[in-house]
Amino acid sequence: MTFFHFGNCVALAYVPYILVYKCSGLSEYSAFWKCVQAGALYLLTQLCKMIVLATFFPTSDISSDSLDVVGEFLKSTVDLADLVGIHFVMSNVAGKGQLKFLIAGVGWATAELIMTKFWPLWVGARGVEFDWKYIQMSFDSNVSLVQHISTAALVWLYGRTDLNKSFLPVVVTLLGLSCYRPLIVEILIHAVGLGSWTLLLAKAVFTICVGLIALQMYLGLSVSKEVNSYY
Amino acid sequence: MLLDEASEVLEMFKHSFPLSMLFFVPLLIIISPASPVSAAHDFAVYRMQQYDLHGSAYGCRNALVNVEARPLDTTSFTRRCLVTKLMEFTTEKYKELITQNAGGVLILLPDNLTSLKPEEKEHVMELEQELLQEESHLPVYFTPETDELLELYHGLKHSINSDQAGSATQALMKSAGANGFQLIVNGPQSKAMPDFQVVNLQGKLSGYGIEEQLPTVAIVAHYDAFGIAPSLSFGSDSNGSGVVALLEMARLFSKLYTSSRTHAKYNMLFLLSGAGKYNYQGTRRWIEDQLDSSENSLLSDVSYVLCVDAIGNGDSLYLHVSKPPKPGSAGHTFYENLVEVASELSPGTTVAQVHKKINLAEDYLSWEHERFSMRRLPAFTLSHLESQRYMARNTILDTRDNVDTKVLTKNVQLITEALARQIFNLNNSGTPQVFVEGLRVESQVVESWMDYLGSTPRSAQLLDKNSAVVNTLEHGLSRYLKDVQRHVFRSDKRDPEFVFYNGATYQMSAYSVKPAVFDLFLALGISSYLAIVFLVAQIMPRHHMFGYEERLSHEGN
Repeated sequence: MTFFHFGNCVALAYVPYILVYKCSGLSEYSAFWKCVQAGALYLLTQLCKMIVLATFFPTSDISSDSLDVVGEFLKSTVDLADLVGIHFVMSNVAGKGQLKFLIAGVGWATAELIMTKFWPLWVGARGVEFDWKYIQMSFDSNVSLVQHISTAALVWLYGRTDLNKSFLPVVVTLLGLSCYRPLIVEILIHAVGLGSWTLLLAKAVFTICVGLIALQMYLGLSVSKEVNSYY
Repeated sequence: MLLDEASEVLEMFKHSFPLSMLFFVPLLIIISPASPVSAAHDFAVYRMQQYDLHGSAYGCRNALVNVEARPLDTTSFTRRCLVTKLMEFTTEKYKELITQNAGGVLILLPDNLTSLKPEEKEHVMELEQELLQEESHLPVYFTPETDELLELYHGLKHSINSDQAGSATQALMKSAGANGFQLIVNGPQSKAMPDFQVVNLQGKLSGYGIEEQLPTVAIVAHYDAFGIAPSLSFGSDSNGSGVVALLEMARLFSKLYTSSRTHAKYNMLFLLSGAGKYNYQGTRRWIEDQLDSSENSLLSDVSYVLCVDAIGNGDSLYLHVSKPPKPGSAGHTFYENLVEVASELSPGTTVAQVHKKINLAEDYLSWEHERFSMRRLPAFTLSHLESQRYMARNTILDTRDNVDTKVLTKNVQLITEALARQIFNLNNSGTPQVFVEGLRVESQVVESWMDYLGSTPRSAQLLDKNSAVVNTLEHGLSRYLKDVQRHVFRSDKRDPEFVFYNGATYQMSAYSVKPAVFDLFLALGISSYLAIVFLVAQIMPRHHMFGYEERLSHEGN
């Protein structure tokens, strides 16, 4: 379409990230550089994932409509590396308590946004042809921001010793869900035949649920900690 | 706060060179101009004719389109491209488009042009003629209907666009929701080809005896075709049928001339002339070259010139003459023979003579023989068309289906037979047929030539000296005739009789677009969404719970 349209898409995709950075208090702790480091680790993790995928899952030229569930499952398993990466960010880069997972989440999500969304937007949204998919893509980046922060929170929770043991299975399940999210989405597309808008909605609802549960557990933890001590 | 971060970022760049590269390289890429992405539909479009003839310009002088598409019932076409079906388009609409300074016309051609009703055909032919009356700067394109294009066409018809709305607000709302299509033809503008070379193909069969002392018969057919768009001009009847007849005559007479017993005392001269649809430029130049050259030409004392144009249909043959041949002359004998042969072999065929004087005041000559008659050479044209109806010989409707191979074979047979009787002087009635059995007119040969000619666009500007059609025809002639020559000529540099232009076929892209107002509405929507996100984030108390707010703010959407 036009440069205006591109501006719209970029605003929709990026402004929430800036707002989160400003309002969550990250900016007050000068966490910018730490977020960049988290982003760099994101790149490293993706590189490792790609090497593994290219080595063990050679692409077949035959593109069939049927879904290869086992293959996709194995591919999604590689995404576990993301969790390891996030854990690594939190243990090595970010320093202070709860700020850790925010830095990890925001840095991770921003790196992904820049790496995967900016170029398609630049090429596509500015072209003559109009397509709703660029607006959807921008919305999707908002959803993945929430998704990455909650994943980081879950990883952080998983590593806590003071976490109530009965929550541990929930945490592991949610981590598994967020890890296999692409697979679930794929299955949904094939089984239910979701359109692009309903798919986006489904993703948003799913992510919000995961986020809410993670938030609840985190709140419980931090309230109990507030009672105990100052970190 | 913002300044602090800015300085932080600057600090970062100061200390780390690779990082600053990471920052600036994308910036440079961003500044560089972007190439347009691939379109939803790309399709070939055929541009309307563009040529200059005798100093006047005709047809469409512009090739480039970059405007939005509109259906036929729109009121304002300024900077818009009309998309219409051929049958709905009228001359009035065309004139309206020109006065409104429209950006282009895309005309969808129906699948099968030959299955149109007679009145529809009439409409198309009149349209073609009217469009070419004068020059215009409106790009006119033709393209066959495909499913995708029909979808686009119906989409346009049913979309409500701002032009039809009542009030301004209504118009604004409607245009914000509308789906539009941007039609784009990129590429070089059409340019004149001043060095375009037209080819005349000439071959001959020498008679028995001293060539210079024998009488000569010339058989002439122009091989090019004409229609509103060069790439759609298949010209099967006119003049594919004439070319096929000439090739078949060359084949049959060459057989006769190889045997000394059937070697007639007549030279036969065959000419396939180029650019015939442009007032017989090829013929004109050939006559000039032949008559004005110093050496004695066969043409200067020719018995008669037989031009063949459009004989592939109908059940009559008309001999068009500018001056009726005198009784006793060779031309008259040929005509009498033709009448006789027709009554013997094919009683259903009527043969008649049509006399029409050359009108020098007119821009166009009616028939090819008039070029010869103007130089006082006895000449006539054979055609199934009774009048010089210009339209039927110059239309895109003249496709392969327009020629009936049976009729064409029969007509070729009649002409060949009559010619043979005249050449061999077999005047008494009850003469047996000459071309039988091994010498028969082969309908397969006729058909295969016809199929070839009817499947290739043969507008003169597409047939330069290297074109496949010219090479094939030359090869075909040289199989039967000795001494096949190419006469290549070009338009005069200072005072060109004709100028052709390139750019017959272009690639058109159709992009689905939204109007600018839509983006404005979208911007409003997005900013209100962001405002809500921001407000939610602000309301949240910003104390110890990092990460609390932004999650809620997102979940709030």
